[in-house]
Amino acid sequence: MRDTLRGVTAARIVLYTGKGGVGKTTTAASHAAYAASASASAAGGPLRTLVASADAAHSLGDVLGQRLGGETLLVGENLSALEVDARAEMESHWGSIRDYLVAIFRYQGIDATVAEELALLPGAEELTTLLAVDALARSGDYDLVIVDCAPTGSALRLLTLPEVARSAIRVLLRVQQAITGLVTPLARNVLSVPLPESSVFGDAERLLYRKLRGLRRRLTAETTSVRLVVTPERMVIDEAVRAHTDLALFELRPDAVVMNRLLPDAALAEPFFHSWGELQEERLREVRERFDPLPVLEATLAEDELLGIEALADHGASWLGVEPADAVLCRTAGVRIRAEEAFWRVEIPLPHASPDSLDVAKLDEDLWITTGTRRRAVRLPRPLARADLTRARLEAGVLTVRLSRPSAN
Amino acid sequence: MRVILLTGKGGVGKTTHALATAFGAAAHGHRVTLLSTDPAHSLGDALGERVGGRNIEIAPRVLAREVNAQEELHHSWGEIQRWLRELLRDDVDEVVAEELLVFPGLEELMALRAVREVEALGESDVCVVDCAPTGSTLRMLRFPDALRIFMENLFDLERRGARLLRPLIERTHAGRLLPSEAFFDSFEKLYEEVEDVRQILLDDTRTSARLVVNPARVVVEEGRRSFAYLSLYGVATDAVIVNRVLPPEAAHGWFARWAEKESAELSEIEASFPVPRFLAPLRPFEVRGREALEAMAAELYGGRDPAERMTEGRPIRLGQHAGRTVLYIALPGASKEELEVTARGTDLLVRVRDAYRLVALPDSVAGRRVRSAQFVDGTLEVQFEK
Repeated sequence: MRDTLRGVTAARIVLYTGKGGVGKTTTAASHAAYAASASASAAGGPLRTLVASADAAHSLGDVLGQRLGGETLLVGENLSALEVDARAEMESHWGSIRDYLVAIFRYQGIDATVAEELALLPGAEELTTLLAVDALARSGDYDLVIVDCAPTGSALRLLTLPEVARSAIRVLLRVQQAITGLVTPLARNVLSVPLPESSVFGDAERLLYRKLRGLRRRLTAETTSVRLVVTPERMVIDEAVRAHTDLALFELRPDAVVMNRLLPDAALAEPFFHSWGELQEERLREVRERFDPLPVLEATLAEDELLGIEALADHGASWLGVEPADAVLCRTAGVRIRAEEAFWRVEIPLPHASPDSLDVAKLDEDLWITTGTRRRAVRLPRPLARADLTRARLEAGVLTVRLSRPSAN
Repeated sequence: MRVILLTGKGGVGKTTHALATAFGAAAHGHRVTLLSTDPAHSLGDALGERVGGRNIEIAPRVLAREVNAQEELHHSWGEIQRWLRELLRDDVDEVVAEELLVFPGLEELMALRAVREVEALGESDVCVVDCAPTGSTLRMLRFPDALRIFMENLFDLERRGARLLRPLIERTHAGRLLPSEAFFDSFEKLYEEVEDVRQILLDDTRTSARLVVNPARVVVEEGRRSFAYLSLYGVATDAVIVNRVLPPEAAHGWFARWAEKESAELSEIEASFPVPRFLAPLRPFEVRGREALEAMAAELYGGRDPAERMTEGRPIRLGQHAGRTVLYIALPGASKEELEVTARGTDLLVRVRDAYRLVALPDSVAGRRVRSAQFVDGTLEVQFEK
């Protein structure tokens, strides 16, 4: 179950993400509380668990009823929690690069506050948060690390692409050098302020790159899973469907969908909510279909706000079911997307399809796949939406589709 | 043209209410353009029909479009894009380059530009903007400031520098990294466009922000912060929309405890936001599609024109006190301890927690020393020396 890196047993990582307001934090906290509780013993024993919030708008502390900070805090037996302080983390990971940029700006006569602002690196906050989580996962202190992520979207993308992050830094530096640095050679003689050499941060950049590579390995490892949290609402589900294929683009492994805030029978018995029951059933069916083969875990709305570790653990037990709390719930490979020289290759596992009854078409940002009487849409990530379908082939239970890449104009 | 920005925490119902507001304004005879500037567009999802990067008519007198930064970049500022591509060429493959071209801030920039475009076209009376979650929206509002500082401090210097250096390095490898004259021209144009939008956004007779919240602790907390930040950036918030309030007929039985919590939050909302509140009850079904949204607007605004200013009030204004000029900055939701004020040349630097703004001072007080600053009843009063 757990992989070993340099002799240290690294923890299993589960990341929870989804549209804003779906209950990611409560879901993540209840999973953690359950995993750490004695009641999990029947299914593999209580686990040394860490729950970390990576969302800048932290609410994990509110849910756990504890004041959390940037240091891990023991909040219960076997259970630690932290809210990553991205600003402080950034100091340690990006400090030298940022200082360099600030120096350049200040040298240009820009106010310090403004210079700091301008030097904020894209995605740096999200990345540093995950770097901190990664370090804890490798510490050997935990069996299971659960991360309450920021809402779906740009965050996850940057996180999974250290190369992008690294290029982003370089590009930023180049842009800034090209723009602001132009005057440097002329001005250096005039001003007495010493300007840092660009080689100063060369080492820092390499170190950072290594860390990012390590992070990417960890995030795409078999022991790391992403879980999408949804509610029975149309807009929430639609966004999760898009996120699902975005994950594939960056080789992250989703292993389950959590359907949150389902109304229990007692609530549906209230006259006002009668029609909601049907809608809820319909949405559940739809989610099972659209995210197949991912299992859909059902979490019902509690009668009162879930506060405190015990209440959270009970809630976790109710939706996690009988599997061990650190189980990988689905190992079937999902959709894979690779960029080749002149096209994108999209691989979609279709274990039971036969080539005779197969039809593939692309309609805007969806790939429509018909097998026999079943039809499903695979939502393509944005960069692929403009591409043209050029080839589709079914081989050994995997449908491989080629999409031509639009030429740069 | 009236600009109405719908903003709030993720998942509170911004998109639903942006659509309702647009339909409601159209029902009062206005020609409306609805823009979605949230990169995770859900206009189409809420409407039940596809909305894309081009204006489509989603109802009589209502046009809608989703602002896609990547697409916009494709169509405008070829120069800037070409230069960025050049910079990226050696390092990353094309897909990644495409992604990278959408640098943080670009989404916000494109959103600002889209508002200006609607104004320039002159075919709409109202522009409703479905904003990205609060964080990005605040970044969007801060963008003109940052750009102004950049232009005032660096731009001319660079342009001169580039002119000077071009003959020297044109033939070398570094030559392609040197931005062209055309690049500087597009940049200047961009700056002018953003300045235009700034004028629109800071004018409280033209622009109003509407904060969407739910009666839930975390949401209200963030809403309070946003309210202060919006004022700090000089944008007038004219109403709060409280979405998904348990209706009386549902607030008992199994839901009794939730109802109790909600009513506490509703009092909190009333105390926190000194502007009109519009309540939208939770429905036993999803509000989706034009008809449902039109009905929602009619009920929410109760016959009032959604395009009108719901309350008057200017986040930043100048006044006189004992012969001295006073700058009043309304910062509801802020507390004295987290405030910091410093004069910096022609700007006033105001910090509220981790957000700050450089308020460009009017000529009459620019360069004068700050005599005193005090925080009274949610308003920061900065008095200048004579």
